[in-house]
Amino acid sequence: MPVRVALENTTTPSHVSGANSRRSSFQSCTLLSVGQAFSGTQNVSSLQKDEAWRVNVRIQGCDLEHGYLCGTMEALNVPMADTPVVTFWEGEIVDTKNYTFFTGKWEAAPEDDIRHWTKFPSFSPLLGQVEVDGGKSVDLSNYPYIFMRWKEQYFVNVGTDCGLTIAGFYYVCFSCSDGSISGFYYDPNSSPFQKLELKSTNDGRSGFTFSSYELQ
Amino acid sequence: MPATRPSSDLILHRLSSSDYEIKLKAIREVKNQIIGNRTKKISYIKLGAVPAVADALAQADADNDCGSNLIVQSAAVLGSFACGVDQGVRAVLDAGAFPYLIRLLSAADEKVVDAAARSLRMIYQSKLAPKFDFFKEENMDFLLSLLRSENENLTGLGAGIVIHSCETSGEQNILCHAGTLEKLISGLDGSISQRDASLESLATILQNNPEAVTKFAGLQNGRALGSVIELTKDRYSRTRLLACLCLICIKNSSSCYLQDIGIKTKLIYILLELLDDSGQVGEEAPFAFSSLVAGKEDLQKLAFEANAIDKFYSHLQNCALHPKRLEGIFLALADLCSKLECCRLKFMSLQVLNLLVNALTHDEANVRTAACICLKSVSRSIKNLSAGCFMNERIVIPLVRLLSDLSTSVQVAALGAISNIVVDFTPDKSTFIQCGGIKELVQLTKSMDSSLRLNAVWSLRNMVFLADKMCKEAIVMELTVSSVASLICDPEPSVQEQALALVRNFVDGCMDCVEFAFAEDGIILEAVGRQLRKSSKIEIGIQGMYILSNIASGNEFHKEAIMHLLFPQAENGSRSFFSQYLQSSDSHLRTAAAWVIVNLTALASPGAFGRVVKLRNVGIVSQIKRMVNDSCMDVKLRARLALGQIISFGDS
Repeated sequence: MPVRVALENTTTPSHVSGANSRRSSFQSCTLLSVGQAFSGTQNVSSLQKDEAWRVNVRIQGCDLEHGYLCGTMEALNVPMADTPVVTFWEGEIVDTKNYTFFTGKWEAAPEDDIRHWTKFPSFSPLLGQVEVDGGKSVDLSNYPYIFMRWKEQYFVNVGTDCGLTIAGFYYVCFSCSDGSISGFYYDPNSSPFQKLELKSTNDGRSGFTFSSYELQ
Repeated sequence: MPATRPSSDLILHRLSSSDYEIKLKAIREVKNQIIGNRTKKISYIKLGAVPAVADALAQADADNDCGSNLIVQSAAVLGSFACGVDQGVRAVLDAGAFPYLIRLLSAADEKVVDAAARSLRMIYQSKLAPKFDFFKEENMDFLLSLLRSENENLTGLGAGIVIHSCETSGEQNILCHAGTLEKLISGLDGSISQRDASLESLATILQNNPEAVTKFAGLQNGRALGSVIELTKDRYSRTRLLACLCLICIKNSSSCYLQDIGIKTKLIYILLELLDDSGQVGEEAPFAFSSLVAGKEDLQKLAFEANAIDKFYSHLQNCALHPKRLEGIFLALADLCSKLECCRLKFMSLQVLNLLVNALTHDEANVRTAACICLKSVSRSIKNLSAGCFMNERIVIPLVRLLSDLSTSVQVAALGAISNIVVDFTPDKSTFIQCGGIKELVQLTKSMDSSLRLNAVWSLRNMVFLADKMCKEAIVMELTVSSVASLICDPEPSVQEQALALVRNFVDGCMDCVEFAFAEDGIILEAVGRQLRKSSKIEIGIQGMYILSNIASGNEFHKEAIMHLLFPQAENGSRSFFSQYLQSSDSHLRTAAAWVIVNLTALASPGAFGRVVKLRNVGIVSQIKRMVNDSCMDVKLRARLALGQIISFGDS
């Protein structure tokens, strides 16, 4: 495990209170809808060794009105685990209505936020405004990229003693055009900037498929 | 203890005696025997006592002492028969006593008037009482005269008539215009019974009627509203409950009133406190709580912060709860957990689920229904669904049993819960399959009742979401291909939509799953095509387009089948239904249609070039070109993706 890096805490709330939105509602993207699957890798290299895990992600729930997304993440060929390790995560969509670019929790200060968001090339046009107010005044409703934070909540198929940690969270950037996902894991106690790279998968099909469910 | 049968002939004989003393004594005897005794009432009704008492009432002369004495006693007996026993109300009405009692309201003797008014009030507490026509001028004059009266029994009767007969907004409005609100408000300062009757009738007039609420809120410069708020602090629990109900009616009719967080919090605390009442008020409080928080996230949050879930839970732990109370608490919990995850998590952490599971097998149908509705609400948590909190035998077995319950509302409620629980995100649904769940669901897809059909198909649709091939095969085997085709063409559009969504999920997953649409000479795909051509419902179009899109992500044969369905002849495609879908005003439908083109022109497929040529010939390519600047980003990106693929075959 990497050495813990002490960082300043912040109390800035990331959840924007107030029910009334002044902006149009966030546009949906079919590639980020329930049932969609993604696969790729998470680079967990440290100074000692180069290492990457294969990762599969499945979207299970999406509530754009509340800026909420959730799903599972499956890490394969994890050295210390006998089986693939599945976690359930919940995501905050940075829609500037429910959530801004500033995390305000999970030991992430605005500087950590900016340092991670700027790793995504698609973030650079927004940087100036985000530095001012966390991006509250930016209209992201038609932006072809969706920024999110994914926080793992629990292990689905193994115990907490599996040797992995879910203490941190991911800064995520989703491309609406092709469904590709980049992310950076942030945990002051883990290797910095572990990169997640995922692509939309199609289960051996020649095209894209879409399932759906509807809760009552 | 068995009730003693009244000595039949004797009492009937005495009730119709011509001797005043004998008759009066007999009436008094009946009165004393039946008061508060349902069994005795029914016994006397069966004996034919009601017509005898009604005759005594009709024959008595209100103008002399003896007559008025007889009237007072017989009216009290008739009222007692009607109190809380529908059979008694029916008997009183059948005996023709109702018009006599009305006539006696204008008698000179106050005792007679009081007795008649009290008796009529009892009758008006029953649904069987004749409907009062507020649109008749003379009726309205009569009602206003009652409400204007100094006599508490008459004003109480007036309020009772409003509570009984005011149902439509037309009736509410005519009562408002006639000045009823003003009259009822003056009752708020009266005795306990006047206050309670006034509050209840006000709630009746204000319910779901913004116009009436605006009028009420403006009366006496808002002091009327203030009086109702004040009554929420009354020392009598029934008055507090009725004042809360009145305020809830106001809030639910017009959200602009009672916005203040203080009053909202107060209502929650009062209703939670009223749960402790051991009588009827405690039974009704959770129902009032439900109507306060239903559909309102802000109130649910406040209730959560007021520890409402803990409070309901502590009441549920009392095993000897009356069924009505159990029903109310489960419905209140259902509304409380309908939107907020924090409420659902609290519910789960308190182990309320164990008590809910017990209620699934309760003797009373209403309790079983309420428990299912509560389970449906709690299982809206994707976090809990994904953790497999509900898909276990302890919950699934009793729930599946309820699918064959004798009560349709229990069946519908159970289906609602099942349709959520089967979305457990695991491909293996063996727990549900092994307890015969599929068989029961399939049976209900054949029901004559459309709400059962709808919810059964909905459950199957959710179950097939991300299900493995084995689960899908188990469902097809039970459901049959021809039934799916019939459900797609069901008379109810909502069933059609769910059936199409079911097929959409079926043809997703592994490549073999696509074949399902082609089974039995492709009758399913044929039905889909037929529905897409004729339906104008957006949701049906969307589900249909995703079926075609999923099939079009299959092999060459599948893609060509979709081409054939969309463009049977090489005619101008701009006239086809598909072209209309691409131009729909609904962006979700345009997106779904654009995905079909993306999949038909997928670069890796060998026949893509031929399809591009055909799409160009029928005018679809030029339509796609026009969509690359669509106002909806999703449509725009799919159109661009499709066009990129099309152009790679060479543009012209």
